[in-house]
Amino acid sequence: MSWPGLVRWSSAPEAARDALHAEWTKLRTVPSTGWLLLSAIALTVGVSALTTAIVKCPASCGADTTKVSLTGIELGQAAVAVLAVLAMSSEYSSSMIRVTLTAMPRRSAMLAAKAAIVTGVVLAAGALAVLGSLLAGRLFLPGNGFTAAHGFLPLSLYHAPTVRAAAGSVLYLALIALFSLGVATALRDSGVAITVVLGLLYVLPVIGGLILNPHWERRFQRYSPMNAGLAIQATKGLGKLPIGPWEGLGVLAAWALAALLAGGLLLRLRDA
Amino acid sequence: MTTPVMTPYRSSQQPGRDGFAQLLRAEWTKFRTVRGWVIGMVAAAGLTALATVALAGTAQNNNSLPSVATGPGGVAATDTFYFVHQPMAKDGSITVRVTSLTGRVSEPPFLGGAHAVQPWAKAGIIIKASTRPGSAYAAMMITGGHGVRMQYDFTGDVAGLPGTVSAASPRWLRLTRVGDEITGYDSADGTHWTKVGAVSLTGLPSTVQAGLFATSPPYLLVRQTFANDSGVGFGTVDRGAFDHVSLQGGSPGHAWSGAAIGGGGASGSKLNCPPGQPCAGPLPPAGFTASAGTFTVTGSGDIAPYVPIVDPLGVTFKGSLIGLIAMIALGALFITSEYRRGMIRTTLTASPRRGRVLVAKAIVMGSVTFAAGLAGAAVAFPIAESKLRSNGWVKPIYPVMSLFSGIGLQVVVGTAALLAVGAVLALAIGALLRRSAGAITAAIVLLVFPLILATVLPMTPAQWLMRLTPAAAFGLQQATVRYPQVSSGCLPYHGCYPLAPWYGFAVLCAWAVAGLGVAVYQLRRRDA
Repeated sequence: MSWPGLVRWSSAPEAARDALHAEWTKLRTVPSTGWLLLSAIALTVGVSALTTAIVKCPASCGADTTKVSLTGIELGQAAVAVLAVLAMSSEYSSSMIRVTLTAMPRRSAMLAAKAAIVTGVVLAAGALAVLGSLLAGRLFLPGNGFTAAHGFLPLSLYHAPTVRAAAGSVLYLALIALFSLGVATALRDSGVAITVVLGLLYVLPVIGGLILNPHWERRFQRYSPMNAGLAIQATKGLGKLPIGPWEGLGVLAAWALAALLAGGLLLRLRDA
Repeated sequence: MTTPVMTPYRSSQQPGRDGFAQLLRAEWTKFRTVRGWVIGMVAAAGLTALATVALAGTAQNNNSLPSVATGPGGVAATDTFYFVHQPMAKDGSITVRVTSLTGRVSEPPFLGGAHAVQPWAKAGIIIKASTRPGSAYAAMMITGGHGVRMQYDFTGDVAGLPGTVSAASPRWLRLTRVGDEITGYDSADGTHWTKVGAVSLTGLPSTVQAGLFATSPPYLLVRQTFANDSGVGFGTVDRGAFDHVSLQGGSPGHAWSGAAIGGGGASGSKLNCPPGQPCAGPLPPAGFTASAGTFTVTGSGDIAPYVPIVDPLGVTFKGSLIGLIAMIALGALFITSEYRRGMIRTTLTASPRRGRVLVAKAIVMGSVTFAAGLAGAAVAFPIAESKLRSNGWVKPIYPVMSLFSGIGLQVVVGTAALLAVGAVLALAIGALLRRSAGAITAAIVLLVFPLILATVLPMTPAQWLMRLTPAAAFGLQQATVRYPQVSSGCLPYHGCYPLAPWYGFAVLCAWAVAGLGVAVYQLRRRDA
């Protein structure tokens, strides 16, 4: 007996496309998504512009101008984390998750599609935020004494380390989003998930910076997600960094992967 | 035919009252009966204690302790100066006129001459128990930038006449000893005297040393930049010119003799000059000259409490940040979960006066977090203290602090108050935003993010951040006493806050009150 029209056997690429389309529709049609992406861009560019406007050369000539211009990422990531946490936890708070999993019984495919869509929008917003920040640095820094006379060239995307820092910062935001999504998948509740994510992002660096033990301080700087991931922004004194730029981003990627694996595993094992 | 009489039903229950006490009880019941919140609160208290103890356990003091003098009462002190002295038997007095105070910094030229006389360069008269560094003293002095001061036993500091000294506008100083009591006077003309202060120095021997002194603290160039933060001290000297010196009570047969106390004034001729730039010449050596009743005394060093840069106990208590974010989450959830479950409609039906609902919630949340935070901090304090002792943070620089001393209570009660008001701020934001994720993020960004930004910004904006944001309240955890009469680099990076501890807490309270005010206004205006 056949049930024409009831079950559509779709090929694998079609299923993937449908899953992506469903996740895109869910994310696109919630008003908070637009606001959060906008605040991620505004907070990043705002803090970066403020910082580049404050820092003056004769006093802080040792500064790494690229890193200074990208300071806002440290605040913008909070909005990105909220976006990624809500992408998963709002399904649980509205019980939408049951509909989602009925339509897409392959749970890991659903998680992968969600991760892909969230990564996509964060990459787009992150690129705007980073370009805006660099532009602010290019505008403000020469006026504050970071001139050729002190050995500074205007920030430019023809400078390979700057390109690495800029592209790396966009990737950093994407990895933060994936990490947050993984944590939210494991914990389900938006409040608990965002507390854990921001605790790991913000509290670890503060404690690591204050710890009175060089050995432990170095460990914190090498392995806490924010300190390690932001090593990608350094363009000066690379030899003195606790962790190299790409290795640092790798550590953050490991955090994100671990969170997604844990989330994915729990998603498969638990009832929705 | 009789019609049965229908008595309308009346509940035998007393009619409910909508007093504020009932409202508090209702909110307490809401908190108490959600098991996750109670577990979360206990966990937050436990994490506060655990993280603090863990930080104390890792805090190693590997630097060799600087040699400091131990002053009266065990206070760590810098006691280096050039002393021109005579013994003074029993009661007596010393009077002097100061006509100038000049100074020099062993500066590389880029500093300019602006800091030539240090604000806390000191020259004047002193009565001191002995020439041993750290012994009891009382002194009247003219300073580079803080006018006339009377200082005693390192921590005491009383202001006298303001202004700087010059030949046209000299200052007269006098110290009088009667028994153990020393009184300081100042005067602009030598005839009209004003009492500045009186102090009783316990255990002063009958014969003390009295005389003239000069000392000048190092010029501290503190920089905090994106690249690093650093403090470089440059040696300085100052030179005071005195005349009309009169000593009553001195023993006959004694002349003035000079001594560099604590090595003070073995002048800082070590120069830090950038390569290729000309340096100012070496500083003049410490010493004194006397001719025709006119004295000049040149000295270097300081007579002041010693303030360490690192504040181990304050840094250790940053472990409470982990408890803080848990309590922020609970504070926000206390209201956002009402919106999520629709409970808010029941709450507002039962108590239509909406402002009072929010105030009741704030009181319940604040009290519970305060109690939990107090328990966590009070348990952690003695353990952290003893761990720091065994890790090399020892007296006199890092004095032993009891839980019930002024500093101990400030740190412990302050930590609990910080957690409580932080949770109330999160509650206010939660009432405004109605969504847990947004509210928790906003509260964490307001309270914790400034601490991160302050470590990367240059010093001045970083200090403004620590004055204006709710993070100013972390100053409550400062366990090192900062004295206004000691110029030391105050970096947020080292856990030093520009506002006095309880003023910093007032900043957080102002944020919480403002947040609650806006939240009450919005709660009244909007539909639930």
